[in-house]
Amino acid sequence: MALLIWILHNFWSLLVLSFATLVGLRIAYRFRRYGATRAELSHILRRSPFYLVVLIFCFFAAAPFLIMFLHSFKVDGDLYRRPQPFVFRQDPTLEHLESLFTNTAYLDFIRNSVVVGVAVVIITLILALPAAYALARLTGRWGERAGILMFLVYLVPPTLLFIPMFRIVVMLGLKDSPLALIVVYPSFTVPFSMWLLQGFFKAVPPELEEAALVDGYNRVEAFLRVVLPLSLPGIISTIVFTFTLTLHEFIYALVFITNTSRRTLSVGVPTELILGDVYFWQPLLAAALIIAIPVGFAYNLFLDSLVQGFTMGAVKG
Amino acid sequence: MSLVELQGIKKFFDDVRAVDGIELEIENGEFLVILGPSGCGKTTLMRMIAGLEKPTAGQIFIGGENVTALPPRKRGVSMVFQSYALYPHMNVFNNIAFPLKAQSREKKYDKRAIRDKVENTARLLEIDMLLDRRPRQLSGGQRQRVAIARAMVTQPAVLLLDEPLSNLDAKLRANARDELKEFQRSSNITAVFVTHDQIEAMGLGDRIVVMSHGKIQQIGTPQLIYDDPANEFVATFLGSPSMNILRSDAFSFGFRPETFLPKTLADNPENSRIFHYYVKRVEYLGSDRLLYGYVHGHDNELTLAKVPSNVRVSLDVDCDYEFAVHNSDIKFFDKRSGQRIEQQNLQGVV
Repeated sequence: MALLIWILHNFWSLLVLSFATLVGLRIAYRFRRYGATRAELSHILRRSPFYLVVLIFCFFAAAPFLIMFLHSFKVDGDLYRRPQPFVFRQDPTLEHLESLFTNTAYLDFIRNSVVVGVAVVIITLILALPAAYALARLTGRWGERAGILMFLVYLVPPTLLFIPMFRIVVMLGLKDSPLALIVVYPSFTVPFSMWLLQGFFKAVPPELEEAALVDGYNRVEAFLRVVLPLSLPGIISTIVFTFTLTLHEFIYALVFITNTSRRTLSVGVPTELILGDVYFWQPLLAAALIIAIPVGFAYNLFLDSLVQGFTMGAVKG
Repeated sequence: MSLVELQGIKKFFDDVRAVDGIELEIENGEFLVILGPSGCGKTTLMRMIAGLEKPTAGQIFIGGENVTALPPRKRGVSMVFQSYALYPHMNVFNNIAFPLKAQSREKKYDKRAIRDKVENTARLLEIDMLLDRRPRQLSGGQRQRVAIARAMVTQPAVLLLDEPLSNLDAKLRANARDELKEFQRSSNITAVFVTHDQIEAMGLGDRIVVMSHGKIQQIGTPQLIYDDPANEFVATFLGSPSMNILRSDAFSFGFRPETFLPKTLADNPENSRIFHYYVKRVEYLGSDRLLYGYVHGHDNELTLAKVPSNVRVSLDVDCDYEFAVHNSDIKFFDKRSGQRIEQQNLQGVV
């Protein structure tokens, strides 16, 4: 605890220090490798404006997250007295973080979101994998049109659909249960994932499947043994994307579930931590940041193949 | 009974008649080449033998069994694709073992048997040191061998090859051709080889099927097809440079450039036809001289002559010469249908 407090107090000096150390190590490495010559020095000088600009943009990109991080530890007095986002004028505190975990159902929200997310991902894959494969391969003239038609479903906004959906959910007796979300979410995740996966499947040469057919497998086996392993990056990015779609969905989650402990993150956090016009900023920011970091990492890892999936569909579609 | 029998095979894509009534018998152990220009339906025909396309009409028999409705895996064929279609996510060993693993469900190969078979086949094709590599780490020639090994490892009744040499560079190709033929002969497998390259076809085939516009133009040994073409298409498609075709009012006739020689070189001038030949241009090709010019009376039909370089006859541009073709080397064709017809009287035509 004391260590964390000390780190927060000296946050900026530590950040600058570690950055300077990294730059120093890099220069030292280049000197050892290429010699501390005039040419090397001028190389470093020539490149430094470029890195300076990169640094500025990095700061712009990271600033919201830094502010969120630092604010989570501020006492009320420090936060509300003339905003000063990047410095602690009073000692940082962990009390807000503690209250987030103890006084709210934050852990329940996380659990519910993960349960709903995983279930929806599984349902989506079961439905979208064969559908996308069919659209990518076994189509005549109507295949493409059917695909576009299905994608149009995705474009109908939940704000239009939530009332009829609510009646369906009530009819099924699923009101106030995460099951309601598990049933309803595939209505937009399936068309989207299908579209994404279709692009990846189209990128697998049909000859590979034909080779598998001649080699003694049927179509399902050829799909499972050849197409699926080759489009694995695409499938993983589809999983990440589907999961985040369910994570930030708001309207359905708000309408279908009223019991606090059964809510998901996207609804639970704002309803618990904003009471009327009172914002509990510190726990609110902490709650958002804690869930944003793993998702952000997952996105970055698969960003390339995600973009590839969209463009492959576009070029060859 | 032949190993493979095609009866009245047709394949239409919407309005396009890709394959239009093929009757063909493939004998056990033969190397059959299907030759034709691109778009003639040869690949479609092969894909129908493999079971990757369903014929619009007609029946296919393999080993006496009607396989027209069977999926590829139940036909006992294997195929080498033009792009080789190696599985990029498997190493060479697993690529070759892939068809064995499919069969192992019925025939109960154990792991050891699969390993033995893969290693034997790999040794035969001299790729046994590459078994741990991934396809993208291989050269074009090595990939081709892996594709052949994968097709051979199950000892199929028929091996189908779809232009497997066209992705190799010219130097490798001659070598690969030789090895492929040697391999087919020693393993005594029945091979069907699709190509648009007449040199490959002539060099590899026991028999050649010449196709055009979805129809078989001629079937025969390379020599028969070259020396005795059934129609004008076969005559002009084979041979480089192709056969000279001259037209008269009643019929067409043709002769190959290498049979069209200066009169002084003709073996027996009394059995030869003499043409007055005007030389427009000469290309020196090392072993041969290629002459471009016109036969007297056919000033619009470019006629080529291929004269060996070691023949010391001076042939100059812009000069007239007397050239001769042996009577038996002149082929006659019907003017409308292009079919071969009997010897005609050339008196008064040239």
